[in-house]
Amino acid sequence: MDVKKDILWRVYLCFIAMVLICAVIFGKAFYIQQVQGQHWRSLGDTLHLRWEEVEAERGTIFSEDGQMLSTSIPQFDIYIDFAADGLREKSGKRFRENIDSLSLGLAALFKDKSADEYKRLLNKGYKEKSRYFSLKKKISYREYQKMLKLPLVREGRNKSGFIADVKSIRLNPYQMLAYRTIGLDRENAQKIGLEQTYDAVLRGTTGKRMVRFIAGGVAIPVDEDDANAIDPQNGKDIITTLDMHMQEITENALMKMMVGNEAVHGCAIVMEVKTGKIKAIANLGRRPDGSYFEDFNYALTPTEPGSTFKLATLIAALEDKKVNLNNTVNIEGGSWQYAGRTVWDSEQHGLYQVTVKKAFEESSNVGMAKLVVNGYGNTPSQFINHLKKLKLDETTGVDLVGERKPVIYKPGSKYWSATTLPWMSFGYNLMVTPMHTAMLYNAVANNGKMLKPYLVNTVVEKGKVVKQIEPVVVNEKICSEETLKQLNECLRGVCTEGTATSLFKKAPYTVAGKTGTALVADGNRGYADKIYQSSFAGFFPAENPQYTIVVVVKNKPHAAKFYGAAVAGPVFKEISDRLYTLYVKQNDTYYTATSQKDTGWFQYAGNTNEVKQVFSKLKMNYATPAKETDVVSVISQNGKAALYNINVTQKQMPSLKGLALKDAVAICENIGLKVAVNGRGKVINQSVQAGSSIAKGQMITIEFK
Amino acid sequence: MSRNQNTISKGIDWSLVWCYIALVTIGIFMIFANEYREGQNWFEPILSQKTDYAKQILWAGICAVLATFILLTDSKFFTATANLLYAFGLLLCVAAIVIGSEVKGSKSWLVLGGFRLQPSELTKVFTALALAKFISRQETDFSRTKSQIIAAAIAISPAIITILQNETGLALVYFSFFLVMYREGLPPFVLIVGASLGVLLILSLLYPPKTLFIVFTILAVVVLFLLRRFYRRKRIILPLIIACWGFAIGVSVFAVPYVMDNVMKSYQVDRIYSMVGRQYSPKDPVKRAEIEKKRAENKGQNVSEYNVIQSKIAIGSGGLVGKGYLKGTQTRYDFVPEQRTDFIFCTIGEGFGFVGSIIFLGLYAFLLFRIIFVAERQRSTFSRVYAYGVASIIFIHILINICMTIGLAPVIGIPLPLISYGGSSLLTFTMLIFILIRLDADRQMVLR
Repeated sequence: MDVKKDILWRVYLCFIAMVLICAVIFGKAFYIQQVQGQHWRSLGDTLHLRWEEVEAERGTIFSEDGQMLSTSIPQFDIYIDFAADGLREKSGKRFRENIDSLSLGLAALFKDKSADEYKRLLNKGYKEKSRYFSLKKKISYREYQKMLKLPLVREGRNKSGFIADVKSIRLNPYQMLAYRTIGLDRENAQKIGLEQTYDAVLRGTTGKRMVRFIAGGVAIPVDEDDANAIDPQNGKDIITTLDMHMQEITENALMKMMVGNEAVHGCAIVMEVKTGKIKAIANLGRRPDGSYFEDFNYALTPTEPGSTFKLATLIAALEDKKVNLNNTVNIEGGSWQYAGRTVWDSEQHGLYQVTVKKAFEESSNVGMAKLVVNGYGNTPSQFINHLKKLKLDETTGVDLVGERKPVIYKPGSKYWSATTLPWMSFGYNLMVTPMHTAMLYNAVANNGKMLKPYLVNTVVEKGKVVKQIEPVVVNEKICSEETLKQLNECLRGVCTEGTATSLFKKAPYTVAGKTGTALVADGNRGYADKIYQSSFAGFFPAENPQYTIVVVVKNKPHAAKFYGAAVAGPVFKEISDRLYTLYVKQNDTYYTATSQKDTGWFQYAGNTNEVKQVFSKLKMNYATPAKETDVVSVISQNGKAALYNINVTQKQMPSLKGLALKDAVAICENIGLKVAVNGRGKVINQSVQAGSSIAKGQMITIEFK
Repeated sequence: MSRNQNTISKGIDWSLVWCYIALVTIGIFMIFANEYREGQNWFEPILSQKTDYAKQILWAGICAVLATFILLTDSKFFTATANLLYAFGLLLCVAAIVIGSEVKGSKSWLVLGGFRLQPSELTKVFTALALAKFISRQETDFSRTKSQIIAAAIAISPAIITILQNETGLALVYFSFFLVMYREGLPPFVLIVGASLGVLLILSLLYPPKTLFIVFTILAVVVLFLLRRFYRRKRIILPLIIACWGFAIGVSVFAVPYVMDNVMKSYQVDRIYSMVGRQYSPKDPVKRAEIEKKRAENKGQNVSEYNVIQSKIAIGSGGLVGKGYLKGTQTRYDFVPEQRTDFIFCTIGEGFGFVGSIIFLGLYAFLLFRIIFVAERQRSTFSRVYAYGVASIIFIHILINICMTIGLAPVIGIPLPLISYGGSSLLTFTMLIFILIRLDADRQMVLR
């Protein structure tokens, strides 16, 4: 039948067409998967697989007393992906519902813009459909945690579009203290200080791993135990020799003087005599606005040292037996013509025939000049060799990058003239760093053993010491015992009969030191501006030296106060005073009278019976209230001690002020508080204020001092 | 012939039912595969209906109920209400344009409470029924041009409405009804013209108009020269050749560039161009800027190219036997866009490789051949035409979808039947197949 044939023909045609199309599809599928398979697989890998660097955590720098000096903290940059599906779905329902509360939350959290401003900002970003809208940069971890709780943000990344870029930044919790020494690790800038010197140790090694980028820009590691992956090695921690307490004392003492004298810059170094450890190092420079900051490593910059250098001259002369301390020398009343130039003493003392010792104590430039001219006039190399022996012609080798080489001219060099030698004798015509001065004085303090100054004690990895740095002896004995004895005598003399007499008159300890006042050349203006560099170098207690301190301050032009004893000396004394009471006295075998403290006002507290017992033992009169509680506080009343009751109830927080640890903890635990303590001494602060209501099990932090 | 009311299973073609169940199950597993992440609780989302696979399971449940109802319905119901349903479907489609809500640029969705419906999906079923009804009418003589035009109108009108809804992809599906009409006696001429038009379109995409103009002209001259002896015997040849030449030139040199530049959206043109591997750069500076902006947003790649590249990476990385279920990385980490709907085939390709894809396509082939087999055993024209309609719709869906994922066709967003995620789509194919099963159960009956 024709119709049947026609229909069959049509059906077959349909079948054939279908089969053909199926064949094409199969063919193409086969082509993609088999022939091009490798291509697509590798394309997929290149698009989404990548080696990613895994940053190692940078190590922390600690002080010797365990304080963090520099550590890494996370910092967050917040971006918003306004094209996030969750944000835009249902034509932006989620965004519209949350924008008001979010703006309020952001304004309350960051406090830099009003809620309206935030709202405008968010709306603008939403309108622009920005995929990487920068909302706020450099927020802290704490702020970030708070931000995560805000409306919308808490719905997660996919719905809110909020993206956080985490960066690790360096934080110096002590800010200015030893800032220059600890150093910086900034983005796009040269590292400085210990951060630079110990960069290799602190940095660790960057690891790498294969990651696959998945939706939303998230990367996931491909294979956990990939043999090619390298785990990042976190940086090691370093423990420096710095002591934050001493640092604070040093920095404050220097700062006080600098501010008072409007000095240009200055530095102070505290060195532990027996080890060469630098316990504190302060470098302050004046900024254009008149404030001071740790802006440059002055302690490692060579300058003309001035009179503190006379110690080196004296060592040489005594060692070579050119003089002894009792020889007389004519200091010509303070000025002496030599080779066409005049040597001036900085003070017009009017003295003529004095002993060498006296000349040193009075810091007579004429005396020192005559000493070397007489002793080494024909053999200047002998004097220079002595300076070399004292390691004054090379860097100290302190573990801080950036130390510059000192300048010591040699006979025969083109800078050498007839006046070079005599001027060198009192610290001109040569340049050494304050660190050199510290090293030299420390050697004298340390019985002639010269030690290399150093800043890092130990390298620690995961709490385990991996490298212990020991003191390095540079010169076992810089001079004979006999010379040492004489040097000590002279340096003591400076502080008892010489230029620094008034400074240490009342000190409960002995000091051996030397003042220095040097005119500083100011570029091409020479010495015309009368810029003086005042310095003081010394150690104490003289009988049993513990610390060497060097203070160098460069004054402003025509400063009223410029003598070493007037500018650098007081800084030295303030540091030595406090170090003495804090660190030296306990170790001191001698009995020394402490200065009387003002006890006109005091407050302390304790167990009533115990307080009474003390009073009766001391046979002191005191006033008592009618009915005493278990614990009382003692307050001065008309110059007499009076006991006041401390009422302890379960409802109100009592004042803990003045209590010792034992009593404070007893009270708190009796009323059901949990106690955390901080510091030692007497209570100076309590986290739950007196008078506020308390609940059982509440946490209280008590600070003692 | 009367039917035993108690046994709905009587006469049912079980192989179709099993095939249907197998496909829906595969679909759910594939959606699960690209949604599930290691370590998640897979069961909890089913209760809370938070994930797509959970929703698809719910839809499958709804479909099971619907299928049962369809099997319980009298076959005559479908013949009786065919035209009514068709009218209703068209009305819904128009309603979607007027009151519907816009989803991804197309106004084809009706929102009823928390429930979204795409009427143009359902209208496929109604159109198949209406076409069957028209052709099976006793007074219809399908060999007459008038009937053919009416039939074409029935098939095309929902397509036009769908285009107005901005759902070009779905509209394409309605053209599959021409296959049905061809089986019922549409002159081959129509299909030949259609096919050559298709070839012309592709050629004019691949080559610049000037080249085509020269080639066509040379071709025409050569043919004229070769056939010079026949002009006298058959006068029609000369004008026919000239008409063909004119038609070819008209389409490739004038019509196609005109449509590209003035009618279609620039992103659509871009998609078509990217499919044939050419860079689209419109003359109109505004449009060019638009395309450039879009490319810039997608980091230098154009969107459709990106989709296809990702899809090819997924399928290509499957290799011969695939990476294994839940082992695929491309499809499981959301690289492939629309991977639960339009690009679900990637999941199969990546997970089960060439072998898996072939077996999967074999299942489809079995379904199609079974439907055609079923069609040809019908006594009533209505059932037969309807069955062919079902086969055509499923066929064109599979064809376009698979071709799109392997880069043989431009990216047109139409789902893979029974596999892709989406309630409307699943519902539609369930209705299509189960109405067929119902009609087939009554194949001894003559329905009109």
